[in-house]
Amino acid sequence: MEGRFCGACAHFRNDPAYLEALFPGLTSLASADASVRGDDGHCRRHDRYLGAGACCADFQPNRADSRQ
Amino acid sequence: MSRIEAEIAAAPAASDSAGWREIWRKEDWWAIWLGLGLVIVGYLFFANGSSIKWIAVTPSRWSSAAQLAAHFGDNIARYVAQFVLWLAAFSLALTALGHRARDFLPSFVFLYLLSVAIFSIGQWDQAASYNLEPPLVALVLGLVLSNVVGLPRWLDAGFRVEFYVKTGIVLLGATLPFTLIVWAGPVAIFQASIVSIVTFLVIYLVAVRLGLDRRLAATLGAGGAVCGVSAAIAIAGAVGAKREDAPIAITLVILWAIIMIFALPFAAAALHLPAGIGGAWIGTSEFADAAGFAAAQAYGGLAGTNGITGTSDQAVFAFTLMKVVGRDVWIGIWAFILAIVATTRWEKTASGGKPDIAQIWWRFPKFVLGFIAASLLVTAVTSGYSLADFNKIVTPALVAPLKDLRSWAFIFCFLSIGLTTRFRELASAGSKPFLAFTAGVAVNVVLGFILSAYVFAAHWANLTR
Repeated sequence: MEGRFCGACAHFRNDPAYLEALFPGLTSLASADASVRGDDGHCRRHDRYLGAGACCADFQPNRADSRQ
Repeated sequence: MSRIEAEIAAAPAASDSAGWREIWRKEDWWAIWLGLGLVIVGYLFFANGSSIKWIAVTPSRWSSAAQLAAHFGDNIARYVAQFVLWLAAFSLALTALGHRARDFLPSFVFLYLLSVAIFSIGQWDQAASYNLEPPLVALVLGLVLSNVVGLPRWLDAGFRVEFYVKTGIVLLGATLPFTLIVWAGPVAIFQASIVSIVTFLVIYLVAVRLGLDRRLAATLGAGGAVCGVSAAIAIAGAVGAKREDAPIAITLVILWAIIMIFALPFAAAALHLPAGIGGAWIGTSEFADAAGFAAAQAYGGLAGTNGITGTSDQAVFAFTLMKVVGRDVWIGIWAFILAIVATTRWEKTASGGKPDIAQIWWRFPKFVLGFIAASLLVTAVTSGYSLADFNKIVTPALVAPLKDLRSWAFIFCFLSIGLTTRFRELASAGSKPFLAFTAGVAVNVVLGFILSAYVFAAHWANLTR
């Protein structure tokens, strides 16, 4: 399972612009660029918000990884 | 969610948060570079017999429109230079963070012009008579513009609440003696810890009792107990919350934070609390840094009037110690503990991954390091001055200009809170989350008042004396 973690999964999005659009009101008193967020992101497959280090059986390598 | 089988053993030990890339990919670090950079430049000018006060221009006190017009007429070049400085600094940082500078430019022009207007209103010699405290005026004006008038979405590019407040906090460190942090920090941590733990438990237990999911309960609890929206997002990620959980917490934090911006200074003024005690109460009972600074600065502006003893600095310093040192810095530990609980007790096969103790550092609000570094730097380089010389030489040439730049950063922040808060776009929270969060708010406010105004009253009332 080496390398099969959410941060490298096609279902996972954690770029700040995406998260600020996903969570209405986030920028009013916080920011997706903040250190406290770490690299948490949204799993579009399971609709969960979780750490980039998590993993599940539905892992799919993202395109960048596929090209490598 | 049963399909998610967290393969804990295979999860990597670290995410992208680890490593040096964070120093240009997170706004906390950019707040340090900008804030500390200004402090260092300010000191270099001071050490060479000069000052940055030329560019740290602010509207002066005025009693007639003609006076105000004359001030701007005489100082227009200074305002233009300051605008360019802020624009260049923030554009550089936001570009590094992945934002587009060309979107930021028109938005920041709008924000800066509004800030000049807000600052000017605050300097009117009749402003206090009409309760025109700049933080509150900025917030109300921002809310009206975004909710009644309506602003195009692209303008949001310049309304970076969190970035401005963090930059302001780093600058604030330069005006706060390090010895004060050492002296007052432990009490702040002790008081804040009591209130944070009690508030979290109240929200969490009421939420669970009402039948809410434990991950949502924890997200709500952290939002009310630690550092508002930032904490809610951090804990939502740490416990692997459902996507809709974080927006519920965001809605409730914003709602109560904005109410408290007005309610806490009003209540503290009605009770004639000394500025330091009012600041400590606000630091204990506000939910977000940006909102809390608005309330603390508004209350500080009332010092010396209406039977409120103390100084404006006491309110802001007490708030900062309580909120930033007492509460914010522990978010990583909250996240780590709750991640362990989530993976071992709540949902063994569907967690956010294996809890990693390194997240205590990943999630640490790094701007606090800049705040402490700025305090250490200015305290160290001015330690050879007597109090009289400090007030006569250091304050006007070094500390006052940095304080003025801090005031600008905070006004950008206060305006941006209102300009980005569109109530109709917030998620519907539902009655149960509202009840749970509100129970925590009630306990938090009462407990924060008792600790600030009774148990540690002498400590906060005498801050900086």
